[in-house]
Amino acid sequence: MSETSSAATAAPEVELDWSIESEGGSVVLPPSAYVRPRRNHVRRNLEIIILAGPAILLFLMFVIAPVIVALYYSFYKWKGFGPTNADNFVGLDNYKWTLTNPEFWGAVGHNGIIMVLSLVMQGPLAILVALLLNQKMRGRSLIRVLIFVPYVISEAIVGIGMFLMLQDEGALNKLLGLHVGWLSNPKVAMWTLMFILTWKYLGFAIILMLAGLQGIPEELSEAAAVDGATFWQIQWHIMLPLLKPTIKVWGFLSIIGAMQLFDLVYVIWGQYIATTAGVSTMAWFMAANGRLSGQLGRGSAIAIIVFILSLVVAMIYQRWVLNRDTEGALTEKEED
Amino acid sequence: MSKVKVVNKQTGAVLKATPKDGGWGHPAIYFIALCIIAVCLAPVLYIIVNGFRDNSQMTLNPSGWPNPWVPGNYGAVVTGRIGMFWRQAWNSTYIALITVVLVIVLGVMTSFVLARYKFKMRGAIYLLFASGLMFPLSVAITPLYIMMIKTHLAGSALSVILPQVAFGLPQTIIILTPFLAAIPMEIEEAAFVDGCSRLGFFFRMVVPLSMPGVITVAILNFVGSWNSYMLPLYMLTDESQYTLPLGVQMFSSAHSQETAQILAFTSLAMIPALIFFSLFEKKIVGGLTGAVKG
Amino acid sequence: MNRMAKVSVVAVACAASLALASCGSSNPGSTGSGAAAPTTGGAATSSGEQVTMELWHNGTGEKGPAVFEKAVSDFEAAHSNVKINITIVQNEDFDGKLQTAMAGGTTPDIFLQRGGGKLNDQVKADQVMDITSLIDPQVKSEIGGNWALETLDSKIYAVPMSLQPEGFWYSGNLFKDAGVDAKSITDMTSLSAAVDKLKASSKSAISLGGKDAWPAAHWFYQFALRQCSKDVIQGLVGAQNFDDPCWLAALQSLADFAKTEPFNSGFLTTAAQQGAGSSAGMVANYQAAMELMGAWEVGVIGGLTPDKKNLPDLGFFPFPKVDGGKGDQAAMMAGADAYSCSIKAPKECADFLNFLGAKAQQEGFSEAFSQIPANSTASGKVTDPALKAAADALAKSPYTVLWIDSALGQDTGNAVNAAVVALLAGSADPAAALAQMQKAF
Repeated sequence: MSETSSAATAAPEVELDWSIESEGGSVVLPPSAYVRPRRNHVRRNLEIIILAGPAILLFLMFVIAPVIVALYYSFYKWKGFGPTNADNFVGLDNYKWTLTNPEFWGAVGHNGIIMVLSLVMQGPLAILVALLLNQKMRGRSLIRVLIFVPYVISEAIVGIGMFLMLQDEGALNKLLGLHVGWLSNPKVAMWTLMFILTWKYLGFAIILMLAGLQGIPEELSEAAAVDGATFWQIQWHIMLPLLKPTIKVWGFLSIIGAMQLFDLVYVIWGQYIATTAGVSTMAWFMAANGRLSGQLGRGSAIAIIVFILSLVVAMIYQRWVLNRDTEGALTEKEED
Repeated sequence: MSKVKVVNKQTGAVLKATPKDGGWGHPAIYFIALCIIAVCLAPVLYIIVNGFRDNSQMTLNPSGWPNPWVPGNYGAVVTGRIGMFWRQAWNSTYIALITVVLVIVLGVMTSFVLARYKFKMRGAIYLLFASGLMFPLSVAITPLYIMMIKTHLAGSALSVILPQVAFGLPQTIIILTPFLAAIPMEIEEAAFVDGCSRLGFFFRMVVPLSMPGVITVAILNFVGSWNSYMLPLYMLTDESQYTLPLGVQMFSSAHSQETAQILAFTSLAMIPALIFFSLFEKKIVGGLTGAVKG
Repeated sequence: MNRMAKVSVVAVACAASLALASCGSSNPGSTGSGAAAPTTGGAATSSGEQVTMELWHNGTGEKGPAVFEKAVSDFEAAHSNVKINITIVQNEDFDGKLQTAMAGGTTPDIFLQRGGGKLNDQVKADQVMDITSLIDPQVKSEIGGNWALETLDSKIYAVPMSLQPEGFWYSGNLFKDAGVDAKSITDMTSLSAAVDKLKASSKSAISLGGKDAWPAAHWFYQFALRQCSKDVIQGLVGAQNFDDPCWLAALQSLADFAKTEPFNSGFLTTAAQQGAGSSAGMVANYQAAMELMGAWEVGVIGGLTPDKKNLPDLGFFPFPKVDGGKGDQAAMMAGADAYSCSIKAPKECADFLNFLGAKAQQEGFSEAFSQIPANSTASGKVTDPALKAAADALAKSPYTVLWIDSALGQDTGNAVNAAVVALLAGSADPAAALAQMQKAF
């Protein structure tokens, strides 16, 4: 466990040798020459508890505890209220119902498509825009704010607006004189969803990339420019490799987001027609067949299944993408 | 701590604040930016403009321009004739701000531990938080509500804030940890040489140096709280405590949904979040300013 | 007097228990529960214990909140010891929020009751008050046969406010333009002929909100009402299967009718009532000539017209006959809006329900929401001609059947509705849709 998950703490691959100069003059400290003073473990552990304890406690109380309760409900035919007892205990029936339901596996497939397309469509675009917006130029702040606008609007409103625009008799078809079933045609609807997702969440990717770019000292690109490197050479050979840790974190969040996608599908397609339109997702399936059908026990079981599937995907990502560069980067041995 | 500066041994570059407000960029950059902005804003403008129409106009001609313009939708929202816009805007604001502060404080502290301390439980703790991203809130909502009833918190702002903070921690920690890990080890070591404790290092070096990441997660959490619908819906019952998204929904009913008013309400509801973003966006840039110079 | 004494005994018991556990601190409405004496006459108790009750309703929109506020303030004026807090919950969020409140033990004292399978679940979970013996005799006789929709095992659990028979709501102007006489539509042949004429003259013949599934499913329910005998359709909940061949026949009838493309283009992604572009909005703005819907349609359309007034040329005709059907060809399908008391509510809750069931409030609600009151003495406030026609048709109906999804309960009902959508979308034939429905039990 600890090897795989520490992966996300990946340090930049390009090792930068920084030295510290005090006022008196340059005192270069090669990393190996420095001997860390012995500090006692009790104190270190106390620091860990003080710093991480409150967050862990809060997280256990408000995330993990409800999840465990949900796990309990998943073994019952529970309507959301009333007792759970021997009468409505159904064992693994809720799990069986889900795993043998072709509509669920259809939704899993859609999640897979969304996951891949999100990475392919949003990633390069966001990196490109972030690199461009990282330049010194006038009006940059305004441009950033405007690009971020879609991310700020709530999903519910995006749903209402997009629904009005994209209906068969909606604004877009009227404007273009078309009769495309943007939302209803199963061959089109998935691309409509991908366009909306890209539109909505591109701002998220860009802001993350921009933040990552700030950690890259400008002197690197300036020095390269002095050496005659072109703009794109600098981006490709210096900025992009140094941005890798950020890109990987974004990739992780994007993948998990794609696995959990619910809001936009629900507000645009509602409770019933997502399957026929070919845009149903696992989380949508969970809501439609769980809470919205008054079957909270079953909904909990679906949530557990989605959780396990997400975890597997996340672990694979950790192992194959995040973990590769960590060897060597995290050289410090465990102290205990 | 005496004055230090960070110098790259290979390039001789000094880590310092750099002026970021240069001149005009290449026209091509503006052109690309303009195209992206057009795509980003078109649906938003559609929403804002339709706030000036009424239901009937929208049904008859979905792609039309307001005819006549109906300023009443916006007027009704701002003057409080429908809904409690200002009250709800205030509720949304303070809930979002408290959430952001708590998430940032707890998130930075935990990320620091995960990034800079090496101990056995580290991987397990990271995995614990990461797993929080994979569980939908909608399943946890009933247990959460029962918990809030038992602790007499249901109906209070805390019943929204606390779960929101807890559910905001995973993303915050996953984004922040690499930022903190990326702070060169030598800076930490230099700090120790200067007699700084690890906690001292945390406050004097880590927090300022990780500002771009901190501001980023602050914005993400603010937006998340601002638009959050499910938690306030289930936790709050008193309309005077409602947040803006709940207020938006109050306009609509199964029997006649006031689409135009909803669009007007939302267009206005979007503004505070954008102000928050534009204020802090500048801080993402130049986060290194002054930090390293001590 | 006897009742007063009882109330104060409870009050003492409550005060004593204060030290141990706060008595109704989070839900003050539960004070004095269980003291419900059978002698309720609706008379005011002027100096009883202070009682606070929570009321949850879904009356959003223009007039909804005001009607409830008026009802509550009138009731509070007559019962000085009662305070009622109103919470409005958006219709689509209502059931989820109520479920959660029931799970947390904070069920509101008075709440909207959807009836059917949901009522059944609530009764099984000990959440709803049995008000059979608490109903004012006069209200009881005035509401008469309409109690049936709120009754389970001959116990009454809610007071109905309005009745919503279903049929076609049409625009008289568009019908006239197309040369269609609504009275001539008596069977499927004449309906199809009317659809052809309407398609030639107006934008859409029939609007359908397929996005919400239930409006599409109601077409199936109506065909089933015609195809299935009274015993089969009324026995569905008990039988828990769609084995009788009439169900397949009903799906087939719907499939055949759908083949003539009578619905608005893009009906699968059309919302039913959500404002602009909805199927009701299309009728309100002369974009479609008619819609199959319950009697709430009058008010919904009224909220979506340009001037927010009821559509002046709106008309009503019942679902046509289906040749060879085993059901009574005049039978109606209908629902009711009702209010229930929590099992933990104080006895004043039943007083409030009686108050809602009496003539004055039924008239007020009927006027504000443009609906048919459950209390027959309040029917004078029904002035809309279309609504009157619907009320008349309901009066002539030999038997009335509740919506099939409501009757079967949320879970099975949703699955049935989804199967009908699949049928209309062309992704399932009648046999496949039937198999999908069977699986839901």
